[in-house]
Amino acid sequence: MADIGHRDMAILSKPEEAGNTNRARIGRLGLESRQHAPGWYQALVLAGGVLAGLAVSALILMASGIGFAELANEFVVAIFTNAQNVSAVLTQAAPLLIAGLAAAVAFRVRFWNIGIEGQMIMGSIAATAVAIGDVGPEWARLGLMTLAAALGGLAWMLLPALLRIRLSVNEIISTLLLNYVAFNLLLHLLYGPWKDPRSSFPYSQQFDAAERLAPIGWQTLTYALPLALVLAALCWWLLNVSRVGFFTRVIHANPKMAAAMGLPVVAVTLGAALLSGALAGVAGFAVSAGVEYRMTQSFFVGYGFSGILIAFMARNNPLGAVLVALFVATLFVASQSLQVFYQIPGSMVQLIQAVMVIAVASSEFFIRFRIRLVR
Amino acid sequence: MADFLINWIANVPAFAVPFALAALGLIVTEKSGVLSLGAEGFMLTGAMAGAGAFLVMGGHPFAALLVAALAAAALSLVFAAMTVTLRVNQVIAGLAIVFLAQGLTGLIAAKQGWTNRPVEGLGRLDLGPLSDLPVVGPILFSQDIVVYLTVPIFLAVTYVLSRTMVGLRLRAVGDGPDAADAAGVNVALYRYGAIMVGAALVGLAGGYLSVGVAKLWVDGMAGGRGWIAIALVIFARWQPWRALAGAVLFGGIEALIPRIAAVGLQVPQYFVLMTPYVATLAVMVWASLRAGAQNRFDEPRALGQPHLREERR
Repeated sequence: MADIGHRDMAILSKPEEAGNTNRARIGRLGLESRQHAPGWYQALVLAGGVLAGLAVSALILMASGIGFAELANEFVVAIFTNAQNVSAVLTQAAPLLIAGLAAAVAFRVRFWNIGIEGQMIMGSIAATAVAIGDVGPEWARLGLMTLAAALGGLAWMLLPALLRIRLSVNEIISTLLLNYVAFNLLLHLLYGPWKDPRSSFPYSQQFDAAERLAPIGWQTLTYALPLALVLAALCWWLLNVSRVGFFTRVIHANPKMAAAMGLPVVAVTLGAALLSGALAGVAGFAVSAGVEYRMTQSFFVGYGFSGILIAFMARNNPLGAVLVALFVATLFVASQSLQVFYQIPGSMVQLIQAVMVIAVASSEFFIRFRIRLVR
Repeated sequence: MADFLINWIANVPAFAVPFALAALGLIVTEKSGVLSLGAEGFMLTGAMAGAGAFLVMGGHPFAALLVAALAAAALSLVFAAMTVTLRVNQVIAGLAIVFLAQGLTGLIAAKQGWTNRPVEGLGRLDLGPLSDLPVVGPILFSQDIVVYLTVPIFLAVTYVLSRTMVGLRLRAVGDGPDAADAAGVNVALYRYGAIMVGAALVGLAGGYLSVGVAKLWVDGMAGGRGWIAIALVIFARWQPWRALAGAVLFGGIEALIPRIAAVGLQVPQYFVLMTPYVATLAVMVWASLRAGAQNRFDEPRALGQPHLREERR
């Protein structure tokens, strides 16, 4: 690291000595910010980071007792040569993508929404309330459930968003704390009033046919996937094409500058935060009405960090999020079979995702800086 | 009623100590200008390592607590390398550490068969006749050793932070890293040190949780206490003694939870379990309502900003 001593030596030592001793010739390593890194270079560094993350993940899995050949088989061969597994990955990708969009929308205005899981729970609770209460005519039921889920997630975001904007209460902590509150509310409902009357197990009663996202007609795929893709396209339009998207980009680059330029910083930040909560609520609905067909105790587990990872790796770009969501979904599906066949605990998914974030975040060092020898 | 009160108050310290030690560790780290959101991860690491060490090393509670602190400090090297050397966004780095620790502790504990294995753990001290005294006996004289050590630990850390050269330099690095650098202080070294010492204290808090309180390891057993500790530090405006007071408050709330049902109060249990989180939120709102212009100076001024000598302002 930076070392003043060597530089001082070079200054203090006499010229003829400076030529003779090695020590005087060595400078220190300094960092220089890159003003601009070319696109190919950024892609190269990013690829290097991803590869390093994958390599470390593979080493961890091999250290847990899975051979390299089995690893390749579980993650690549078994998944992409089998229509059933492809369908499982796509099914898993839908709610992950929506959670990733929720994170991306908030991160674009530098609002750290760590409460995606709590908002998913509230969204699912609202949708399940519509389903259990048989609200509205059957043909409109799914639409009402989606709306309720969005409002549920939005409502759960309202308090942290307002606290951040009015009182500058740190939203990282407030959104995270509300996860625990929402989880306890979920348990209260599932062990109490919403317990399945048929089996008395702590999950809600099954949704009727009209309350489920319908199958598309290929394998087990449902309309959750088209819903997620449409939302991704809308978010892309909003963030990358529309005028508001331009505002979010300025706010992301420099909130103070944005305010000084007269942009509606407060309104855009509040809107993005609430949209993020609403999207997370819809993600909860997509799991309950598109995969599990009831509300369970742990349907949301892992989506919060996955959403953050998806937004981070995709650099808050909704279209990039589609790709990353597919990658994370592959990880989820492969890990289910690892759990069954190799007794690898589910926390492996979190571990690998964390390793990937650390590798990619660390690799960005080489995009932002250049190491220079300072004499 | 008196029995209830004595019983409750006697249990507060065991619940307050994890918050207190974790908040103290966070203060050490954050005084150096590094935003430490990884507390939950360091706490989990300490808890798992403590329980594991107790099982593997033949039941020495002190060795287990030491291992807990060292394990968290070792993991914090990853965090330090990311935030200090590679200048990664400190929010991303902290979150990544939390999830890394959640995954790692779950994996290691499952592979080693440590999950849900009860340990004998740390016993309460028996001070003979003192412990048998009415009222003050159970409250003051029959806690475990870590409870008694917490106050000296606080004294030592506050002394170092506010009265020694090392503490002065550490605070300088957190308030004005450019000036500190110009004055010859090795910013990176101090930040690495502050991160590791802070993580060790948070890890100790975690180890106390598994070895001292729960006496077993379960996945995710920190249960948000690391996050509550982060909120406590903001509430305490980075001042150790106020953090200790906050920890006692939260310890009081947590100690009350299992006792509400026991006395036959009919409150839905899951709403009771929400109280620590709701209380934390309330405390944060209160702290920010009260934070006037002059209170903002309590926050380390370079908190969350990486230091880059070449971009000296």
